[in-house]
Amino acid sequence: MTTSTVTPEIVAFAQGVRAALADLPAEEVDDLTDGLEADLAEAYAEDLQRELPDPGAYATELRAAAGLPMRTKVKTGVLAGLAQSWADTRADVGVAIRRNPALASVVEFLGELRPAWWIVRAWLAAWLVAWFFGNERGFGLAGSWWLVFVAFAVVSVQWGRGRWQGAGVPALIAIGNVVAVVAFLPVMAAADDPRSSAGDFDRGFQSGVDATVNDPPADGLTFRGHPVANIFAYDASGKPLRDVQLFTPDGKPLEPYASQSDDVPCAANECSTVWQSRQLETGQPVFNVFPLGTVAAEWDDQAQQTVPKPGATAVVPKAPYLKVPGVLAPKKVANSNE
Amino acid sequence: MDATQLLKGVLDVAVLAVVEDEDGYGYDVVRRLRAAGLEEVGDASVYGTLRRLYTAGALTSYVVPSEEGPHRKYYGINAQGRAMLELQRKVWTEFSTTMNHLLTGEAA
Repeated sequence: MTTSTVTPEIVAFAQGVRAALADLPAEEVDDLTDGLEADLAEAYAEDLQRELPDPGAYATELRAAAGLPMRTKVKTGVLAGLAQSWADTRADVGVAIRRNPALASVVEFLGELRPAWWIVRAWLAAWLVAWFFGNERGFGLAGSWWLVFVAFAVVSVQWGRGRWQGAGVPALIAIGNVVAVVAFLPVMAAADDPRSSAGDFDRGFQSGVDATVNDPPADGLTFRGHPVANIFAYDASGKPLRDVQLFTPDGKPLEPYASQSDDVPCAANECSTVWQSRQLETGQPVFNVFPLGTVAAEWDDQAQQTVPKPGATAVVPKAPYLKVPGVLAPKKVANSNE
Repeated sequence: MDATQLLKGVLDVAVLAVVEDEDGYGYDVVRRLRAAGLEEVGDASVYGTLRRLYTAGALTSYVVPSEEGPHRKYYGINAQGRAMLELQRKVWTEFSTTMNHLLTGEAA
């Protein structure tokens, strides 16, 4: 006895034959087609040029030889009807292809590529499942999701080789292949899209890193990447100024600390002192009046936060220079008429 | 005249004859028939005939599972089948003799 492989064509053909016998009792069909795949596979292995006949005609011949009644119009469900027309169409297309040498060689060439398709469809399935859970990464997958792909690939290849084919599996494969073909282009587009959820994740992660690791805090003042805790202003003669209000070009107060926040900004380790905000005529507290002063602070158990010590007075930190060189008055720009 | 038309009438006895000495599965039987010269015999016709002879009680049948791939269904002849084969051999011999005489023009 020869051991032969049952190709998907044979499986599909046997399905077509069974479909064409569907009007007979199931038991009769089983008896009649028992071992059909094995016989066909062997016939194929012996004669590679052999063509699979039309399953309908084959079924008719089988039926006639077995002395069974000819096909009667069966009341088939929509699904069974679809399966039958699918099998018929496949058979017709198959015959048409085999009659055309050019087409036949193209189909033969594509047939050689089938193993690649088995892997592609496994990747597609794994990608879609991972995507559902937000675990796809561009064309790839997140970490252990590659194991899912490997498992899918094994099943896909085994199915492709005609193994592991229980009841209903061929139909499942057929449906899966259609879904895979339909989904292929949209998935490729989505996987290639930087706006896909993978991109979201990466960007979100990066911004999280920026927010927690990189200093200074985004809402403070920085000078060439270093936080600026306070500002000391000097006038043209080089004397230190007090109570200078600073604004950005678009009119926002230049505040190193958030004046609207409930948390007081710590000025020293363990918040022994805090930056003291100043009050405008309008009653609004602001932090853009320089140099900023600090005030001694303590933890208030009742308020559950650090608060300025009652009665403590604000201290203006020592300026870096008592005096700086004065600024020369700007030279008069020569009038072009003079 | 088409040999396939003639074959239809004698396929039963041909199938019985090739499983007389040894059990066989579907394609095995097809192969034996072709090896014997019935090259045009159709697979489906043989499988159908096997099934019909089994239903008629002339053959026994058993399934041999295969570790790899699908199982095979074997058919073997039983007493009733042998009786049928003997009877049909006689019928065929008489019929073919008659036809030979008829076609060659010799007296019976």
